[in-house]
Amino acid sequence: MIASIELRKLTVDFDSQFQLCDIDWQIQPGQNWMITGTNGSGKSALAAVLAGAGDHVQGELSGVPARVGVVSYEAQKELIEAERRKDDADILDVISEGTPVREIIDAVCVNPLLADQLIEQFGLGQLLERSFRKLSTGETRKVLLIRALTSNPDLLVLDEPFDGLDIQSHKMLHEHLTSIVGKTPMVLVLNRFDECPEFITHIAYLDSGKLCHQVSRSDTHAYNELYQLLHLKTSDLEVPAADPVSVLPALDPSEPLVRIKNATIKYDETVIFHDLSWTIERNQHWQLTGPNGSGKTGLLSLITGDHPQCYINDIFVFGFQRGHGETIWQIKQYIGYVSTALQWEYRVGTSLRHVIISGFYDSIGLYSKYTDRQRDIANEWLDLLGMRKRADEPFNKLSYGDQRLLLIARAMVKHPPLLILDEPCLGLDDMNRQRVLALIEKICAGSETAVLYVNHHPEDTIEGIDQYLTLV
Amino acid sequence: MANYFNSLPLREQLEQLGKCRFMHLNEFTDDVNALKGKKMVVIGCGAQGLNQGLNLRDSGLDVSYTLRAEAIAQKRQSWKNATENGFTVGTYEELIPTADVVLNLTPDKQHTAVVTAIMPLMKEGACLSYSHGFNIVEEGMQIREDLTVIMVAPKCPGSEVRAEYVRGFGVPTLIAVHENNDPKGEGLELAKAYAVGTGGHKAGVLMSSFIAEVKSDLMGEQTILCGMLQTGSLLCYDKMIEEGIEAGYASKLIQYGWETVTEALKYGGVTNMMDRLSNPAKIKAFDLAEQMKDIMRPLYQKHQDDIMTGHFSATMMADWANDDVELLGWRADTAETAYEKMPAGDVEITEQEYFDNGILMVAMVKAGVELAFETMTSAGIIADSAYYESLHETPLIANTIARKKLYEMNATISDTAEYGCYLYNHACVPLLADFMKDIKSDVIGRGLNLNDMGVDNARLIEVNHALRSHPVEDIGSELRGYMADMKRIV
Repeated sequence: MIASIELRKLTVDFDSQFQLCDIDWQIQPGQNWMITGTNGSGKSALAAVLAGAGDHVQGELSGVPARVGVVSYEAQKELIEAERRKDDADILDVISEGTPVREIIDAVCVNPLLADQLIEQFGLGQLLERSFRKLSTGETRKVLLIRALTSNPDLLVLDEPFDGLDIQSHKMLHEHLTSIVGKTPMVLVLNRFDECPEFITHIAYLDSGKLCHQVSRSDTHAYNELYQLLHLKTSDLEVPAADPVSVLPALDPSEPLVRIKNATIKYDETVIFHDLSWTIERNQHWQLTGPNGSGKTGLLSLITGDHPQCYINDIFVFGFQRGHGETIWQIKQYIGYVSTALQWEYRVGTSLRHVIISGFYDSIGLYSKYTDRQRDIANEWLDLLGMRKRADEPFNKLSYGDQRLLLIARAMVKHPPLLILDEPCLGLDDMNRQRVLALIEKICAGSETAVLYVNHHPEDTIEGIDQYLTLV
Repeated sequence: MANYFNSLPLREQLEQLGKCRFMHLNEFTDDVNALKGKKMVVIGCGAQGLNQGLNLRDSGLDVSYTLRAEAIAQKRQSWKNATENGFTVGTYEELIPTADVVLNLTPDKQHTAVVTAIMPLMKEGACLSYSHGFNIVEEGMQIREDLTVIMVAPKCPGSEVRAEYVRGFGVPTLIAVHENNDPKGEGLELAKAYAVGTGGHKAGVLMSSFIAEVKSDLMGEQTILCGMLQTGSLLCYDKMIEEGIEAGYASKLIQYGWETVTEALKYGGVTNMMDRLSNPAKIKAFDLAEQMKDIMRPLYQKHQDDIMTGHFSATMMADWANDDVELLGWRADTAETAYEKMPAGDVEITEQEYFDNGILMVAMVKAGVELAFETMTSAGIIADSAYYESLHETPLIANTIARKKLYEMNATISDTAEYGCYLYNHACVPLLADFMKDIKSDVIGRGLNLNDMGVDNARLIEVNHALRSHPVEDIGSELRGYMADMKRIV
């Protein structure tokens, strides 16, 4: 058993193309890690560091054993290129057969019995005498795996080991890895979270060359969060379609969505703002900023109708001049809305799925008989959020961030003409914020919804927003 | 003015008492149309007044507030409530003559003065609406013949009326038309539209009569709802202290215990509440409840009799006339009780522990609910009304106690409820004194703590059968079924 492997403040340069920054990481004996992250996050690079790759800029790396079994696209490529270099056909005009598979394996194998077993299980028996160069990608991958597994390594570094394997081989490899748990520590790089084998005890998540999260498998909560993030990041992020049946009354295309003239909100003698005019045209995307207390939320609730003083101001919304016999539900049907206040108010005991469906009815809780189509759409959203399996769990037991995500889905579910996001990322951790911003950008890119976005954080910029209103 | 109920022949009294029907959603297809474009003027801008007005306006109706000239001149809280919420505010003289519907949402005690002041100002053929029928039924207020008189009574505090509306739902609401004052026959349509405007139709509307509302409401609030919970709180707390239970724990078990056990009541009636106990505890609670029912039955009957004859309202009105001397004295006494003075301790009590260590509290709720229901129905009140005014509303008061304890609970409930609560409490504490002597901490405070949880099968079957076959359970499961249909997600 090896001692622990330690990376302390390690920065590694890869041909000046990519840098792993400030990595602090320990692999204790008995742990099996999965490294994950999006494309380009540096997960393969981190694995490669364990195999000796990269130029150390600063920091320390210690405890890496001498014998490391490596499987990766890079290692595969290297082996193939080495073989290609051996081929002198272009110079000697002799057809080189290249190195047979048997030799490639024997070059590092110290456990011939295991090698024979794996060769048989992988179905490579027929190919042993064939030139390595002539193998398919999947077959070279298998050869690489056999080399790594039979070299009696003190550490296995397997970058996407299951990639390119057929179902049978996949299963076999999985069984073999499971059988060596406890004997050989493993670090696996995997893109797909669902492929995470049971023997993985810890997960490292990289983003832009930084090790952002280290999660123990036993920490179910953190694990679920990471699962959702990865799920969202690795899926195509298609916004589910609207319900074709619940069509809103058409709006007059010559009118703006919102027209507020010389509005004032005041309590007692305290004036929050006065003389404020604002017009929101169709398909405009707005960012609303201003310090605390400048009346951002008040202004928004004049639009949504949640502010009682909407009745004493000159407000035209979705074809209604406020205070002329319209109902608040006639207004709300055109709006999708998320705010911290809404989340506070969403205190009803209902399921995740019903929270999303409630967006079709603008209700907090669900009091209407919904259609099968609406249920299916809600399921698509849950799929998108990676929460489908938890669809029937109670909303109020969710983490704050998950609740927020669901409320955002609830706001978007009906593809409203106006989507109001009042600091949607407030209180969200890094992972959740990224998910939310990605969704909003997707909506902005579409043509049916005007987005009104309120926030404090300049780094949460939204691509597609080009109109700004600042309250003072 | 003479008691209106007493002026009716028995035949009509019984007919009015027996009115109560659960209305289905499809009876509200006319939405708020009967009130559309009509001018609604609210008198009173407290919790009910303000929140009902906010809902009605958000439903597209024209709502303004009228206050007494002094309240406007001095910019009192009611004036601020109305103006900050963007409502037009005016004096009686300014607004009442313009009103098509006047919503009287002042406290019962002010009704006679308010109605007397506004009636001469009201338009010919307008509508006067109440949230409680006390003024009409008990005080015998006579309303001008050309006016339509209706009642729309949301069965929840004003804040809930608003909160549920904003969620897209509503609160259960009782409506009634005063048949003596329905000259154009439009009372029901107006009341229905009003219920829609507050969101009540989504949660369930009961069509009742002024008389059934008053006689059942008074009975429920003074016996099981406020009276029993107040009496039970004081008795259970004192017993726990006597038994050496830590005061903070005892205080917490009471304050939150009512809410926890009646939550089970709300979802599945007395049966479900009792089923939350272990088998030995259930049998114990059943026996205690049976004993208490025998002891308290005459008291419940007296309360119902006094309500029916008008004795109760006469006594209370005498106290009103005497500057509430009795009421305020009792209220002050409540503040001085040992329970009220002991804050809830910082101890963890799990949901199940409230049942396991509060067997006597469960028994008290069962006894009170069943007695109130039995007494009301035997007095001619229909089971639906009796259910709503006993079992259905108990969790609401329990919730108020959880948030405010007894003193504030009494200060926030209606005048009639508070007065009745004290009458009940003063009679019930001594009535249960002997019974309480035999009570030990096994049924209140510590739990049974049995090693052997076994029970006799025959006895358990007997108890379960008795629980499930009580008439309050029959009507309860039917009405909760309707409610669940409306609110698919409970």
